[in-house]
Amino acid sequence: MSEINYSDWEPVIGLEIHVQLNTKSKLFSSAPNRFGDEPNVNITDVCTGQPGTLPVLNKEAVRKAVQFGCAVNATIPLFSKFDRKSYFYPDSPRNFQITQLDQPIVVGGTVTVDVEGHTKHFAINRAHLEDDAGMLKHFSNFAGVDYNRAGVPLIEIVSEPCIHSPKEAVAYAMTVKAIMQYLDASDCNMEEGSLRIDTNISVRRKGEKTFRNKIEIKNLNSFNYMEMAIESEIRRQVQLYCQKPHENPAKVVSTGTYRFDPDKKETILMRQKEEAADYRYFPEPDLPPVVLTQAYIDNVRTHLPELPHQRYKRYISELQLSEYSTSILINEKALSDYFESTLKMCTNAKSLCNWITVEFTGRLKESGKTIYSSEIAPKDVAKLVNMIEKGTITGKIAKSVADEMVLHPGKDPEAIVRENPDFQPLHDTSAIEPMVDKVLAENPQSIADYKAGKEKAFAYLVGQVMKLCRGTASPAIVNELLTKKLK
Amino acid sequence: MYRLSATALRELFFKGEVSASAIAETFLKRIGKHDPKIGAFLSLFSDRLMDKAWQLDQKRQKGQPLGKLAGVPVALKDNMLVKGQITTCGSRFLENYRAVFDATVTRLLEEEDALIIGKTNLDEFAMGSSTENSAYQLTKNPWNLQCVPGGSSGGSAAAVAARLCPLALGSDTGGSIRQPAALCGVAGFKPTYGRVSRYGLVAFASSFDQIGPFSTNVADTALIMEVLGKHCPHDSTSLDLPPEPYLQKIDHDIRGSTIGVPWDFLENLDPAAKENFLSAIEVFKKLGARIIDVNLELLKYSIAIYYILATAEASTNLARFDGIRYGKRSQRAATLDEVYDFSRQEGFGPEVKNRILLGTYVLSSGYQDAYYKKAQKARTLIIDLFKKAFSSCQMIAMPCSPFPAFPLGSIHDPLQMYLQDVYTIQANLAGLPAISIPSGFNQEKKPYGLQLVGPQMHDVQVLRFAHAFEKACDFSKAIPPLFDEEVNL
Repeated sequence: MSEINYSDWEPVIGLEIHVQLNTKSKLFSSAPNRFGDEPNVNITDVCTGQPGTLPVLNKEAVRKAVQFGCAVNATIPLFSKFDRKSYFYPDSPRNFQITQLDQPIVVGGTVTVDVEGHTKHFAINRAHLEDDAGMLKHFSNFAGVDYNRAGVPLIEIVSEPCIHSPKEAVAYAMTVKAIMQYLDASDCNMEEGSLRIDTNISVRRKGEKTFRNKIEIKNLNSFNYMEMAIESEIRRQVQLYCQKPHENPAKVVSTGTYRFDPDKKETILMRQKEEAADYRYFPEPDLPPVVLTQAYIDNVRTHLPELPHQRYKRYISELQLSEYSTSILINEKALSDYFESTLKMCTNAKSLCNWITVEFTGRLKESGKTIYSSEIAPKDVAKLVNMIEKGTITGKIAKSVADEMVLHPGKDPEAIVRENPDFQPLHDTSAIEPMVDKVLAENPQSIADYKAGKEKAFAYLVGQVMKLCRGTASPAIVNELLTKKLK
Repeated sequence: MYRLSATALRELFFKGEVSASAIAETFLKRIGKHDPKIGAFLSLFSDRLMDKAWQLDQKRQKGQPLGKLAGVPVALKDNMLVKGQITTCGSRFLENYRAVFDATVTRLLEEEDALIIGKTNLDEFAMGSSTENSAYQLTKNPWNLQCVPGGSSGGSAAAVAARLCPLALGSDTGGSIRQPAALCGVAGFKPTYGRVSRYGLVAFASSFDQIGPFSTNVADTALIMEVLGKHCPHDSTSLDLPPEPYLQKIDHDIRGSTIGVPWDFLENLDPAAKENFLSAIEVFKKLGARIIDVNLELLKYSIAIYYILATAEASTNLARFDGIRYGKRSQRAATLDEVYDFSRQEGFGPEVKNRILLGTYVLSSGYQDAYYKKAQKARTLIIDLFKKAFSSCQMIAMPCSPFPAFPLGSIHDPLQMYLQDVYTIQANLAGLPAISIPSGFNQEKKPYGLQLVGPQMHDVQVLRFAHAFEKACDFSKAIPPLFDEEVNL
């Protein structure tokens, strides 16, 4: 078989993102919407489908859905409605889900993301409200159902099949997540299941106008796995088509539901799609249609907070941050908010960004923490950067101070520097001068280069002095001495 | 005491001429003596009732304010929840199901100091027109023990007719209050859809179901509607309207008003029933109402529309009865699918299964357009038809049922049984208020019912026309002889 040329193929990806809204109560009952409690404590008679109970729509959930719609510039119809979707399963207390079939609360919309240097506009088909199911728990000799999750409001965001690479899929999904967080509409915790993504994938030869069979990957619980799963699935499909170039494509890849095995790094078939399930949708007679006014929608729109892409553009144009570090900052609202609070106390945005996204993130990684979940206060990070700015400490010392800050979260970096003589830079000119002389004696070429106008040579010499003193010399004094001696 | 209206009974109690305990005891004794003849009750709340009555007597002695229904015994159809009490819905599936909360109607009744006396028999999950589909017992018509009381609220109708309680609640999805009221010779009122909260009523067909009262006279209907007709935040389809002064308004004259009669629709009516209906129309003429013909020809489709839409809703409403969380769980079941299959097989009776199958079918992909969606469109046409009709009249008069009470076991074909609802279904399709009131007897002394249908929200108007009719002919005073001891003595 000849070598497969993957670049001849175009992946076509569509995502269905289920986001649990962080409302106080559930979508159709007053039961608390809360994760992690003992089974079956956050339930009312409605959540277990007791006979005689009726659903009452949660207005807070409607508002959050409309906020999302406004955030992605979607159409918010003044009239939307709920439908019953019938299927029998123990986690479904009524044996029908209340969802929105043909008149959802959000129609269309666009998510704008910068991916690999290009600005992409991903099209949303729709977003609808529905209630989550309970959870089956299997024990050694029986199974139980926890209805705490039953009735938690979900918004399902369905993209158009407009995504063409694993990176794009991840960028789109991360932005949807960020939007939800910026709106304070969800905590979007993939491990706890408040953000769940179903990925639909097909491939086709570049230039083909029609879609080939797609498969669905369920239960992806991290963006990393999502990217790996899509990559491996694209390879699998392309390989199948290349193995059978003369076969009817519809018979080569069959539709089905897959999961991702992170150890084997491949997608595993869960079930072949037989006949499409008949959910017997029809309008929910217990709920009147949702009728909104234009004034309500306008009010939601004018009160939207700053959204990820707006913040992205602001960081790049006003703060001159790099695209890469900006992406890291904005995709995690809490991280970006942390950065914003340090920015109020320190003007060097670039340095702050580096300390937050690289230095502290790296130091905290092992403990599984993030800077915003740690006890390191924004004011202390700002102080640290300000000390470097003023030349009070060197970059090298700053790194050691940061180590201490991670070890003793909450401790004032100025105090750390004050209490440790090693962290105080050398200000004694007489002690620094011999080191400067030594470096100059050992580097005649650099002196020549400098005199020939090469600015870089000066920086090199500074570096050599700092190396010799193990970063303890005050950079200001080293500069001064070198400049004087090179005249 | 049993001959008294609810209004008269509470007056006696207010005045202190009779205690709530004495009332409760009297009616419990009466039920003990007479109910075995008709089988109206599925359960009695004897201890709970005596406790409540005692508390009520204390309340009166202390001079505390008393509710609108103080001391009045009320029975509930056994598809309405009273916390802690068994609610069977006439089904084996819920044989041991204890309600975990009070229905809104239960709460409203108790807030107004009514004495809830027990639960009455019904067709399983309110599906039927004769109460013969109850999994527990047959209920007999107090006027003729060989005949059905009608249904599905047959137990409540029979209980009020036999004067085992002055008031009872039923639910009406396609005529389940009005038809048994007609067959048992009492007043049965189905309010505007959304007037009375459905919270705590076990759903049959959500967009049709409406709770309403049985009483021996229209003033009592007005009295209990003042208690029940309130907005409820737990029912999203509950109307948010200011309280209506039913009692104050029912006495208003109907002189000069216009009543529509869909003569075309009544062509095939049995001659005796027609004669009864015509004499009722004469009464209205004498009261000064003008009678006009209204064209409601589309109504010939209403049974078909109803049995598509109501079964579609029912098939999903009854999906929750699966043996997982409550109710019947088959002992034979070894797998999840068997829990579903066997529990439902054993728990549901044949008519309920028929309707679940029918409803599942009409919603299936490939059939939904031909059945469910078409029926929805036709329902809209019927709603428009009534709107048009009510532009030329204030009230529509029709018979309530095509013939009087029929012998137990005489109708086997479900389609024949469905025809019982031919005159009642439209009010549910269009969400209209409608009442059946006694309009006389046939030669075998079986009662007839006259039906009055009003425009949406015009519940008071319906009661006003009914009240005028009742005052003019007095059929409401008739008591089935078997249950009228004072005469028998």
